[in-house]
Amino acid sequence: MPRREHLLKIGVSGIRGVVGDFLTPSLACAFGQAFGTYIGRGRVIVGRDTRMTGQMLQHAVSCGLLAAGSEVVDVGVLPTPTIQIYVADTGARGGIALTASHNPPEYNALKLFNSEGLFFNQYERGELIDLYHQSQFRRAANSEIRGITQDYESGPKRHFERILRHVDVEAIRRRRFRVALDSVNGAGSAMSCQFLEQILGCDLRAIWVDPGKPFPREAEPKPESLTELAALVQREGCEIGFGQDPDGDRLAVCDENGRVLDNDDVLALVVDAALALHAGDVVVNLTTSSVVEDVARRHGRQVFRTPVGEANVVERMRAVKAAIGGEGSNGGIIFPAVHLCRDSYTGMAFLIHRMAQTGKSISQMAAELPKYHRRLGKVSYEHGRLGMLMQSLEQAFPGVPADRTDGLKLLLDDGWVHVRASNTEPLLRLAAEARSAGRLEELYGRVVQALQQS
Amino acid sequence: MNEPQLLRISHVGVRGVVGPGLTASHVLDFASAFGTFLAPKVPVVLGRDTRASGVMIREGVVAALLATGHDVIDLGVVSTPVIQHTISRIGAGGGVSIGASHNAAEWNALKFFGPNGIYLSTAEASELLDIYHLKKFDFVGWTEVGKLCLQDNAIDPYLDDLAQVFDLESLRQFKVLVDCCNGTSALILRRMKEHFGLNLILINEKTEGVDFAHDPAISRETVGLQLAPLMQPVGADAGFLFDADSDRVAIATEEGNPVSEEMILPILADYVLPRVPGRLVITNISTTALVEEVAARHGAKVVRAPVGRQAAIDALTGYRPEQVALAGEGTGAVMMPQFRFVYDGIASMLAILSMMAERKARLSEIVNAYPRYSMLKGQLPFASRRLPELLMEIQMAYSDGHVTSIDGLRVDWPDRWFHVRVSQTEPVVRVICEQRGDPPVTLFEDLMGRVRSYV
Repeated sequence: MPRREHLLKIGVSGIRGVVGDFLTPSLACAFGQAFGTYIGRGRVIVGRDTRMTGQMLQHAVSCGLLAAGSEVVDVGVLPTPTIQIYVADTGARGGIALTASHNPPEYNALKLFNSEGLFFNQYERGELIDLYHQSQFRRAANSEIRGITQDYESGPKRHFERILRHVDVEAIRRRRFRVALDSVNGAGSAMSCQFLEQILGCDLRAIWVDPGKPFPREAEPKPESLTELAALVQREGCEIGFGQDPDGDRLAVCDENGRVLDNDDVLALVVDAALALHAGDVVVNLTTSSVVEDVARRHGRQVFRTPVGEANVVERMRAVKAAIGGEGSNGGIIFPAVHLCRDSYTGMAFLIHRMAQTGKSISQMAAELPKYHRRLGKVSYEHGRLGMLMQSLEQAFPGVPADRTDGLKLLLDDGWVHVRASNTEPLLRLAAEARSAGRLEELYGRVVQALQQS
Repeated sequence: MNEPQLLRISHVGVRGVVGPGLTASHVLDFASAFGTFLAPKVPVVLGRDTRASGVMIREGVVAALLATGHDVIDLGVVSTPVIQHTISRIGAGGGVSIGASHNAAEWNALKFFGPNGIYLSTAEASELLDIYHLKKFDFVGWTEVGKLCLQDNAIDPYLDDLAQVFDLESLRQFKVLVDCCNGTSALILRRMKEHFGLNLILINEKTEGVDFAHDPAISRETVGLQLAPLMQPVGADAGFLFDADSDRVAIATEEGNPVSEEMILPILADYVLPRVPGRLVITNISTTALVEEVAARHGAKVVRAPVGRQAAIDALTGYRPEQVALAGEGTGAVMMPQFRFVYDGIASMLAILSMMAERKARLSEIVNAYPRYSMLKGQLPFASRRLPELLMEIQMAYSDGHVTSIDGLRVDWPDRWFHVRVSQTEPVVRVICEQRGDPPVTLFEDLMGRVRSYV
């Protein structure tokens, strides 16, 4: 008998699933009530991306929060970073964003934020999930139930204000850059147009900025999904193009020739721009390209590496008071002076600002980065064989220094390989990087061979 | 059974004290069951009374209905009759009313309606309950999820329909004092003042919903608290008290006397029956015998059903609408056919005022013209196991009367009757005795004594 597919995940990263048979309003409501119980009495900010199931889930979560005695502030459709900033700005007890980020449209999820507008750390997440399972929620009586207030206005303003402290708006506006935008009809649709057109004074050419329509392309912004953006850049002669994911935390960039840049290079360019403004070290995950190290070295700064995952990067950034950080391959840029969250808007502002300051085109800036060759992949594995696979991988690279904080990363003189087990699927994620294409193929081949042999 | 009852799930819906009794999870499950029960993808009308907990419950009901594929039309804070009126006006597939009518502020409840705003039949209600207990809900796929639409002007068309039935112009002559008990009647009556120029003076009209000025119980006692003492100082011609969702009403006369809630049905029967000769009055077996006397004057008959709204609804379905003049209970809840057989306190108020206008009579004159009936009511806790024994003993002791046993035990003599039954809402036996003229004290005390001996 075929196994039934269970498209729901309830765990330390919250709750995520396909809406309908799996992610139900009852689950969302119970999670809201657990959250309200955990953070204690006070205001909770609730917003969402443009998924068709967002409104339904927002009502379910609000029901749970109100039942726990929380006061709900409904901020409507907003990008995730904007919701996080709203939480931090208004002294709320916490926040919930209804978004499955870059996942396909049938999915939705709850992203949970503490009173600083940050993702819960691993200990907080553990406590919350325990509380959810115990179901001993606070149950407010009629006299303790607070209402819902709405604020659809101030979120974008609060977010823009924080970014504009770090760039010379007048310098940007004077250049009147011609900019292309693809917001995937997501939460950033209205706000990105406002930001680029009205705030930064760009000559905007936008596609897919209708929040009432479904996602027209794959939700994750990457070269394969941004072909329309690339075509728009070329057709309209734009100097740069931006692609967002549905909740506006991830950013992909297209140069003036219609070439979508590698996300690791985008992060490197933003790190360069940020370190020029702000003193401090850099934090990235283990899979991020070494190009970030080269850029940091130019500024005399150190790079710290963490396990994959935004929460891990943010936690370390906080600990080392980093100036900038992020995760290369998935388009996450985190600039703590704005907020400790992945923020596509900070990324857009910094890149345009850099173009205005240097007078260089985005392709020139990218060309000046040290050249690395990268390859990502995945292979499935059988349960119980993970340890053996990792051992044989290590044996394939004898005497090479290893980092075991997240799977196994082997650090060679002229490149590295990183193999880790996915948290959500029975898959191994492979990554390799080298200075030359030939060396990359050799390293990647050795990894695949080692995994196949054992 | 001595624990205080905090939650009750039955054919009438779900009702409980929010927090310790009624939780968000009950709300989600019950509304998901209703969404599953309804025909697929029909729009559903939603409204709530003024209780603070109504916002929480609304969120849950909206989520569950959207997830089961229904579009939701939310009327905000409105009375139950307005919700029923809207369902029928816009042709919605059903409706949900969030509100605990005459219960204290800490309670709340969900009531469900089918197409045309009618109450669910017992068979339908029992199917809904089965779906709730099974917890197998038909959540739709992500592209089919419903949409929410807010509509905050549902009161106006409702008032327009009332104005078709009643000559509101002729009611402007009266100064009317209304105790809204912080309920939804305040919103309707304010609008009625603005649009139709009625001289309404509202007290306890704030609708914040954390605490009510007093329990919204519809009884002579509640009327006596604030409404009746104000009648003469204000110089009002009539006084009305509404429960939180405005389906029940009680009255005070211009002399400042509170009138028993039992009087509403006979008075309205007296108003309606001459207009629809030969039609029936449907009521329950605990309601005053004055109804029979009034009906007899107009040559009409009374049908008595077991106590409770569901029994009244089932009794109604036994007749064609044109056979029925009105239906109601001794609780001040009355439905008239002009309003699709919906308990509607506002319509009841307008009918009583119209009666004053047509007869050119003061309210006290109308009330005092009826022969005096005296009712005694008592309640005692009981041992469930011995109830049949108790009822049998009482029936044996009063074997000279006419026995009705559709709901507990009722025994009738000319001009005198009693009814002993188990409450549907609390773990108590209720004893009611009524006599034309003076109170039947000896009968009442004998019955209470017998019940007490079985505790």
